[in-house]
Amino acid sequence: MKRISSYLALAASYFQLNLKAQLEYRGAFLSQALAMFLNNIAWVAFWGLFFHRFPVLRGWTMHDFITLWAVVAAGFGLAHSVFGNALLLPSLIARGQLDAWLLYPRAALPHLLLGRMSATACGDAAFGYLVYLAVVKPDLQHFLLFTAFTVSAAMAFVGFSVLTGSLSFYLGNAEALSEQWRFAMITFSTYPATLFEGTVKLLLYTLIPAAFVGYLPVEALRSLSAADAALAVTGSAAILVLGACVFHLGLTRYESGNLMEMRG
Amino acid sequence: MELAVELEGLRKTFTVTRGKGLSRTRTEVVAVDGVSFTVPSGQSVALIGPNGAGKSTTIKMLTGILNPTSGEARVLGLVPWKQRSRLAYHLGAVFGQRSQLWYHLPPGDTFDLLARIYELDRADYARRRDMLIERFGLGAFLNTQVRKLSLGQRMRAEIAASLLHKPSVLFLDEPTIGLDVVARQELRDLIRQWNREEGLTVFLTSHDAGDIESVARRVIVVNHGRVVLDDKVSTVRRRYLGSKVLSVKFHERPATVELAGVSVVKTSDYALKLEVDTRIAPIELVINKVLEAGAVADITIEDPPLEEIIAHIYAAGAAGSAAEEVRTA
Amino acid sequence: MRFWQKYPAVGLASARSNLAYLGEVTSRVIFLGIILYIFLRLWKVTFTQAAAQQLGGFTLEQMLWYLAVTESIMLSAPRVAQLVDEDVRTGALSVQLIRPMSYPLYRLWTTLGERLVRFLVNSAVAAAVVCLLVGPIKWSLPGLLIFVLSLPLAFALDFLGNFLVGLGAFWLEDTTGLLLIYSRVTMIMGGMLIPLELLPDAIRTAFQTLPFASMVYGPAKLFVHPDVPTLLDILARQSVAVLVFALVIAAVYRLAMRRVFANGG
Repeated sequence: MKRISSYLALAASYFQLNLKAQLEYRGAFLSQALAMFLNNIAWVAFWGLFFHRFPVLRGWTMHDFITLWAVVAAGFGLAHSVFGNALLLPSLIARGQLDAWLLYPRAALPHLLLGRMSATACGDAAFGYLVYLAVVKPDLQHFLLFTAFTVSAAMAFVGFSVLTGSLSFYLGNAEALSEQWRFAMITFSTYPATLFEGTVKLLLYTLIPAAFVGYLPVEALRSLSAADAALAVTGSAAILVLGACVFHLGLTRYESGNLMEMRG
Repeated sequence: MELAVELEGLRKTFTVTRGKGLSRTRTEVVAVDGVSFTVPSGQSVALIGPNGAGKSTTIKMLTGILNPTSGEARVLGLVPWKQRSRLAYHLGAVFGQRSQLWYHLPPGDTFDLLARIYELDRADYARRRDMLIERFGLGAFLNTQVRKLSLGQRMRAEIAASLLHKPSVLFLDEPTIGLDVVARQELRDLIRQWNREEGLTVFLTSHDAGDIESVARRVIVVNHGRVVLDDKVSTVRRRYLGSKVLSVKFHERPATVELAGVSVVKTSDYALKLEVDTRIAPIELVINKVLEAGAVADITIEDPPLEEIIAHIYAAGAAGSAAEEVRTA
Repeated sequence: MRFWQKYPAVGLASARSNLAYLGEVTSRVIFLGIILYIFLRLWKVTFTQAAAQQLGGFTLEQMLWYLAVTESIMLSAPRVAQLVDEDVRTGALSVQLIRPMSYPLYRLWTTLGERLVRFLVNSAVAAAVVCLLVGPIKWSLPGLLIFVLSLPLAFALDFLGNFLVGLGAFWLEDTTGLLLIYSRVTMIMGGMLIPLELLPDAIRTAFQTLPFASMVYGPAKLFVHPDVPTLLDILARQSVAVLVFALVIAAVYRLAMRRVFANGG
């Protein structure tokens, strides 16, 4: 219990400091966050045009589509505004920059992930919550559920970034590969999984676990289905646990220094 | 005597893969080759050696960043790579090339964060911080962004940051790199004072002979992954510093100076540079000879730079290990 | 005359150096494959639900080929804005000024060289993927020629847009936000995801008037439905847009240069 509160306090300190550091270049921070906000608005507006022409897509309406974008963007934004280093993990590993974190008396993974904030992720988070409140206009129950899903989606995104980023422990510099894999996950997560069938649908619950961050939360919000909600949360937690395991297995390789870059 | 650091036959090899596909070859590179030594608590040690000698690999194993291939080590009674987190509470580290201060924020902010990371008690932390601010003279720029500080100020803040949690062992890697002469000396004095007053064990790696002389009492030289010399700095000095360099300027063309133990390094019309082996030729005798040689305008007597001594030790170490290899073959 | 000859040489050198990174370029094609597959599913479902053979004059096959072209164009965009931004901030631009070469023209030609290589790789992959998904499209040599003719000015136009964003570095703390917006506008108003025919009339007219459609939608449409009058129309739009962009850039560039000479870059 004491450990948990100590880590929460650490996370709060990092968030505060990250934000303060970002605000040193207020113009850059705000323009990036705002640009990401507008970028998301542009996509949603675009889908508005699509749904204007084709109002229902396998049972999904514009309303569901906006909820999908809101939960994915807020989840992604939450994940990387708090744990911004998750996205940089491959290069941190490949360049042997974990050393600095290993010198501190803290669990390496959470501590390291806290070390940075992504400005665009803040725009994503703001977009997600605002657009959900403003366009979908949920009741309290839906909003609370939505918020819970953004947290579970954030777990999934962090876990997935860690999982793909940790490939660098095993493959040397796997930046390009992990980036492609992450792109695949993000892209799939912004389309309703009902579009897909068979093997590809299975893929969305396994190799590219996009269903847990977008599709399932939206289905759960649509019909207040406990089964979908439970699956979304369990799946997200599983990704996080898997990511952490792969990281720690990889870390023993790093510690034993099989990486080229670790010489000297 | 209590031991802060113990190493026994510590060895580290890396596998290096070259090429791709079928032509892929794996070679084993030995970075640290059976290093053993102990450091009593409170001692200040300089670990030196040429690039790639195994210094930083040794330090990385001592801090728990790397697992050794074989051998044992204990730092403050803990095995670093098994009890990394526990040990980290008692270690401080300053790497001249890599800052732990947040670049865009004032040092004070990083201090607050470090208090959280090391879970320091609020009141203890405040007291400790104020003391460090005073001793390191950080008051004037505590609230200035690190990017706006001079390198000297930054390094002072850097070292203060690494002392916040009262570490028992401090690792310093090239702490004075890039600093000007004054800042360098200030920093060395601070480190030395801390070593004496708090009984802090200091581990220094540096290429700067001045750092070693003014901070360390003991010097361990590694080369090719092995310890080639381990002795007191003063002894090394005495042993290898049996010579002085004499530079003389004359008003007129001097007569030649000939004396056993004196060799002419450089000569020009009105100047002379001599290297004197003081064990053979006492310095007074040489000066007298020089004064006889002509009307002296200026005279300076210097020790040869420690750099030269170190280079000499490296060379000797390399020759020694080569000889050993021949023996074992 | 010699002054002009060096630029194509610069472009060729850039294309050749990018061929060396072919491996890296190819690693990005996984994304291309995925996005085209998603589009296939999206449009297949849409066609089925609409119970239509054609939407906006496109069959499902044509729709996929249209999207293959728009994606190949968008994903082949070199990082011009970032490079210009960097050159401005590091002062490399001021160094370029003392060379006997115009900086904008130098960037234009390196960009075109790089883009050519990337576009060829992307379109080869996209064509293979779409062939696999929906089969080949009917094509003819004159049709292909019409399509190819619509590309140079499209690429030049996109370069000008990016260059303008990069010049923002003279005044702004950061241009990544601006770039994000620019590229998003290009995608959406350019018709990257959906042919302009399927949009509401008012919006369609507005998008067609804007220059972005002649960078993305125009060439893709010509690939699927090649005809000379449309080509001439698009070339005319592209020319006007290039002219306008070039004038704006000239004005902005002059303003920026005054800053360089006043502040020393």
